[in-house]
Amino acid sequence: MEQSNREHRKKSDKATAKKKLHTQGHNAKAFAVAAPGRMARTMQRSSDVNERKLHVPMVDRTPEDDPPPVIVAVVGPPGTGKTTLIKSLVRRMTKSSLTEVNGPITVVSGKRRRLTFIECPADDLNSMIDIAKVADLVLLMMDGNFGFEMETMEFLNLAQHHGMPRVLGVATHLDLFKSQSTLRASKKRLKHRFWTEVYQGAKLFYLSGVVNGRYPDREILNLSRFISVMKFRPLKWRNEHPYLLADRITDITHPEVLETQGKQIDRKVALYGYLHGSALTSAAGARVHLAGVGDYSISSIEKLPDPCPTPYFQQKQDEYEREKLKEEGAAASSAPRRRKRLDDKQKLIYAPMSDVGGILMDKDAVFIDVGTKNGEGASFVPGQERGEGEKLVTGLQSAEKSLAENFDGVGLQLFSNGREMHAVDENSEDISGEEEGDGINTGRTALRRPRIYGKSVQEADAEVDGFSSADEDDNDQLDDIGEPRKKMVEIDFNSGNGEPVEAQTDSEFELSDHDDDVWTRETASKLQASKNRKKKWDIGKLIYMNNISPADCIKRWRGEAEDETVSDVESETEEDFFKQRAAGSEKVGVDDDLEKFKPHFETFKKLVAKWSSADSIKHRFLGAPKASAAHEEVEGGEDGEEVYGDFEDLEASESQVQSNGGDGSEQETAKYESDAESDAESSGSFADFDEEEKKDLTTEEEREQNAAKKENLRLQFEMEEGDNFKEDDPNNEYDTWYELQKAKMAKQSEINNAALESMTPEQRQKIEGFRAGSYVRIVFDGLPMEFVQNFDPKYPIIMGGLLPAELKFGIVKARIRRHRWHKKILKTNDPLVLSLGWRRFQTLPIYTTSDSRTRNRMLKYTPEHAYCFASFYGPLCSPNTTFCGVQVVANSETTGNFRISATGIVEEIDASVEIVKKLKLVGYPYKIFRNTAFIKDMFSSAMEVARFEGAQIKTVSGIRGEIKRALSKPEGHFRATFEDKILLSDTIILRSWYPVHIKKFYNPVTSLLLQNKSEWKGLRLTGRIRAEMGLETPTNPDSAYAKVERVERRFNGLKIPSSIQKSLPFKSQIHQMKPQKKKTYMAKRAVVLGDEEKKARSFMQKVFTVSNAKEEKNKAKKLDARKERLKKLAKLEEIKVEKDKERKKKYFSENGRKRQHADSGADAGSKKRR
Amino acid sequence: MASPRITTFQGNRNFRLLIVLATLSGKPIKIEKIRSEDLNPGLRDHEVSFLRLMEAMTNGSSIEISYTGTTVIYKPGIITGGSYTHQCPPGKPVGYFVEPMLYLAPFSKKKFSVIFRGITASHDDAGLEAIKWGLMPVMEKFGVRECALHTLKRGSPPLGGGEVHLVVDSLISQPITMHALETPQISSIRGVAYSTRVSPSMVNRMIDGARKVLKSVGCEVDITADAWRGENSGKSPGWGITLVAETKKGWRYFSEGIGGAGDVPEDLGAQIAYELLEEISNSAVVGRNQLALAVVYMVIGKEDIGRLRITKSQIDEKFICLLRHIQEIFGTEVFLRPVDDEDSDDLIATIKGIGFTNSNKKMA
Repeated sequence: MEQSNREHRKKSDKATAKKKLHTQGHNAKAFAVAAPGRMARTMQRSSDVNERKLHVPMVDRTPEDDPPPVIVAVVGPPGTGKTTLIKSLVRRMTKSSLTEVNGPITVVSGKRRRLTFIECPADDLNSMIDIAKVADLVLLMMDGNFGFEMETMEFLNLAQHHGMPRVLGVATHLDLFKSQSTLRASKKRLKHRFWTEVYQGAKLFYLSGVVNGRYPDREILNLSRFISVMKFRPLKWRNEHPYLLADRITDITHPEVLETQGKQIDRKVALYGYLHGSALTSAAGARVHLAGVGDYSISSIEKLPDPCPTPYFQQKQDEYEREKLKEEGAAASSAPRRRKRLDDKQKLIYAPMSDVGGILMDKDAVFIDVGTKNGEGASFVPGQERGEGEKLVTGLQSAEKSLAENFDGVGLQLFSNGREMHAVDENSEDISGEEEGDGINTGRTALRRPRIYGKSVQEADAEVDGFSSADEDDNDQLDDIGEPRKKMVEIDFNSGNGEPVEAQTDSEFELSDHDDDVWTRETASKLQASKNRKKKWDIGKLIYMNNISPADCIKRWRGEAEDETVSDVESETEEDFFKQRAAGSEKVGVDDDLEKFKPHFETFKKLVAKWSSADSIKHRFLGAPKASAAHEEVEGGEDGEEVYGDFEDLEASESQVQSNGGDGSEQETAKYESDAESDAESSGSFADFDEEEKKDLTTEEEREQNAAKKENLRLQFEMEEGDNFKEDDPNNEYDTWYELQKAKMAKQSEINNAALESMTPEQRQKIEGFRAGSYVRIVFDGLPMEFVQNFDPKYPIIMGGLLPAELKFGIVKARIRRHRWHKKILKTNDPLVLSLGWRRFQTLPIYTTSDSRTRNRMLKYTPEHAYCFASFYGPLCSPNTTFCGVQVVANSETTGNFRISATGIVEEIDASVEIVKKLKLVGYPYKIFRNTAFIKDMFSSAMEVARFEGAQIKTVSGIRGEIKRALSKPEGHFRATFEDKILLSDTIILRSWYPVHIKKFYNPVTSLLLQNKSEWKGLRLTGRIRAEMGLETPTNPDSAYAKVERVERRFNGLKIPSSIQKSLPFKSQIHQMKPQKKKTYMAKRAVVLGDEEKKARSFMQKVFTVSNAKEEKNKAKKLDARKERLKKLAKLEEIKVEKDKERKKKYFSENGRKRQHADSGADAGSKKRR
Repeated sequence: MASPRITTFQGNRNFRLLIVLATLSGKPIKIEKIRSEDLNPGLRDHEVSFLRLMEAMTNGSSIEISYTGTTVIYKPGIITGGSYTHQCPPGKPVGYFVEPMLYLAPFSKKKFSVIFRGITASHDDAGLEAIKWGLMPVMEKFGVRECALHTLKRGSPPLGGGEVHLVVDSLISQPITMHALETPQISSIRGVAYSTRVSPSMVNRMIDGARKVLKSVGCEVDITADAWRGENSGKSPGWGITLVAETKKGWRYFSEGIGGAGDVPEDLGAQIAYELLEEISNSAVVGRNQLALAVVYMVIGKEDIGRLRITKSQIDEKFICLLRHIQEIFGTEVFLRPVDDEDSDDLIATIKGIGFTNSNKKMA
């Protein structure tokens, strides 16, 4: 059967828009602007959009190749599912499930990215502030049923004033909506509210219900993808300061000290964590701030192998190793090649305070979850170990001796064929710490199988030439002083079958075969360096060897010193160091010439001899003739004067080019000759040597060398040329200023990298410090014992580096505004907790305003909706730093209102500030002369008057005057002159400015030292003190507003004596009319009532009286009724309100489970929804 | 809370530099054993005067001098600047006081405008032209554009009577990161020869002496005669010369000297010219007397690597002392590495700035 298809639609002949363009035979669009107006608009818009994208160019100090993990903070009110979210994300990224979330959790999320998850304690404002300062990304959790809660708003505002990290909203509990339409509506409402808070179009995730204790996999997958591709802009404060989020702390106070001196002593504490921000200086004693603890000096800092390296980093490390092995000429590398894809093994997790993989690190012990005893998958069963890791553990379990006994005298064998090295003495106080171990114990040899990198010890190594013996000495000393090394270790439990378990423990007795390679290599090279010490001095090190006097330094560097002294210095110990220096200082005291500005020159005669010809520096002059010719002639023994004369001729002819006949050509030839000769001479001794070297190099190596040289040259050249990137040239390649700045920054960072990479690791450490991204262990001496005692892993520990300016204390003047959501205005000198820089501290701000920039006048209260200034005492912080202020941080004192009371920005810092308040002194005249008056009641003594002599005064009516002198008789009275005569009834006002002093009160919020971290209470607010003590607010009756009652002023009529009146001119005479003598009509008329009329009038009056009385009665009656009715209404209203309350109460007790945790604080965790 | 340790120094060497570095870093320092072995122990007049000047230019700094004057504890405050008139003691010229101000002036709260009264020239300390033509160009390279030293009156030693006005108008937040890897070429030599209360012929004779020597280098030489007369020329007769070698890049080398009684002007001119040659031969990018300024400005730069070429002969005691002091106060070290060029034994001083910012300045 024939299939009946629909007929093909014919192409229509309609003139479409596209066709119209071609009507004239060519494309109209290509030749003219069709719609100029629209084009202008689109251009405007696109440039607007582009412009909006721009940010102030800022250098990103995060290292590119190994950046620190991104800190992802999960923030939200209690019960919104923070822990569940972290668990789900961790599970998604590492395939390991957490049972508890404690402290930061670092996971590898991609080839080059790691994430550190941290949960912000919901009910602690302090933690919220700290987290806002360090988080790179905030996952802002909110309950979809409740929308934005106070904590969310507070956190957003905190974050905004500390640089605003990226914020991702996550709405949870969306499965509780019954109808789709309400769900959709509330989603939309949430989204728009979120947008107004963050920015238009900010991403808000929706998570529905919880399945198996986790959020649905698909939703989590989306979220994690979103996180893993997120980019971050550098934030100014974090770009300038190093900081660290501690993922582990250990109390390393010596137990003996604790035993002998009791537990109440300051502790020595080590913090571990990834460094963020800028580089942390490696100089000892750097000051840092521990948020919630205080300012402390770092006593030592040490870089540890990365416990959670990125696959990229591992790959690079492996490549490096392979290269090394290749150089060695060893057999094929034993190191396994890493796969390109992120495999399960690389999905590392590092969470020392949570219980990852069954291992829980407590304050002072490591707990290992061994699974069900004798169960199916039971591990750590003696005799059935699966891998050497387990063997180790079971071995430990069955140990008869104590741990200390067991390892008494155990050494550390670095190389399988090497001698055991013995542990450095535990006693850290022992500086001399010389260890002479014998290495008898073999306890650990079976377990330790360190991989050997590089060459064995016996081989000579050329690359350690750079190590000067002195430096090596220093390092050794350092090692002696420092604690016994503690290493992060990965025990590989995987022995074929079973799931891979990643376990990470910390113990001083274990050295992994994986992480310690750096250290091993270092030690190996050091050992070698000590063997072939070089006597050549490196000036870079000599300069900073304080035990050698500068003069000596130079001598040694130039190779003038004898060898004996050299060895002396090397063997110098710390004690010698001080002696030596003292001796040196005596010498220093003698010569004074450092203060001299003029550098040292030879005597005149020597100078004349030396500079008889200026040839040796001829090349330093632009356009000067080449020196060689003259040089040759001098060498040839000719008279120097003549040569000199030769040049003089040239000079006289004022020509810089010396193509002057035969003379010039002579010189030219002479120059070539000399060149050749000198070449031959100079290369004479080195010639064969050079050749030898060249033979050794293969072509490839030569090429490599050349390439390196070229690269160097290129860098140098570009730098030189691009010194200012042709900034002034309008035709440079950069279209905009922005591009130019970007290019400059890129160039500088390139230079930085190149310069730093050319240094040895030690030098680099010294110059650069500890880079962001390195995992460090920072030791503090003398932290309060409460910090350790009351340590709770749930609360973040943040260490922030301080710049020099931030160490000083002084007066900070800031622009401040009461937060518009805070209910009350702020009172001068009421304590305020400020979060400024890393610190949180309570201080007493004085609010001021500037009176047309002439003075800072104190304000009693902050203005309602405007900025004012605040001056307060505290640690200084560079201008343009934003901050927030809260009045209370203790949870018990919160009322449920918005807690952030003020926001501001630092304007200026100073050591002192002048603030005044207005003071008006009032006096009264008691005797008035023409322009002079005697004033009383303003001062109480003549001395006070003397202080104010010449001061401007004013009457209320505006007559200005001046204080002249004190009167001798009534104490405190004075004479004043005015511009006009004043009245006795005038009040005299002296307006003065009274200086206000800022109270030097600084109280750091040491919340981490408390048992209950969210209950820090500082100075109480004035109002609170009064309320608690039941005091009334003192009132000055003068300050009370009362109705102004003005006495009617009576002025007597003007009476002019008749004698004067007579003599007045007519114009000024007072014209008085004579009193009227005739009676007016009204006065003289008489009204006589008739009888009838009289009656009518009296009747009418009676009628009116009666009616009035009636009306009055009615009115009173009505009023009564109305009163009654009002009373009734009020009663009804009361009942209604009561009922309403009841209903609300009932509703919230049923539906509002939100805050239940607050009632039962302890079991908040268990009562979470679902 | 553990309080920071006070850095301690000994002896009176580099007194001004220590105070300046401490002020920049904000760290308190203690200098002890100041001339403790001397017959006349303790601080000298000019040092006390300098401390007083520092107190005037800062706010909140505290200076404690021990009873014998051999120990000073200096707790720096905030650099405020502003207008001030400083009376220099007769022992030291104004250059002694102006020079350290150059380190601080760009980083103050208010613009610097200080008048110094006293002697304007000496054998040991920086002269006016040296500051104007030698040190200020270095500052300019680091971004301090508007600074000037106006000579209102000259005052030769011993009686002085001079007056100079230091004006630094540009308040910068941090110095520019410097990269000077090439020894610049000198384009011309300039100079000023001045005289006060002596015959102007002295000036010309000095110029002649200098020109004669400098002829040999084959470069443009231009020395200005500057004879001061009248009441602006101070109270004592005196004369001196400053020679500056200029480069196109803005770097300068200079040498200076003043004549005393019985000196021959031609000889002085010649000597200073020779010294200039010596200085040029000894220096790469900056001269020895500019080195400290350049290095300190590099140290307080951005947290980037700056590089400066120096010669081997520039590493002298003074330089080492400077670096040690910087290390003790700022904690930064200078990395020296030889230049890639085999022909020269110059070094590249690589310095990472400490990320200093001028926090004294008010927010704009």
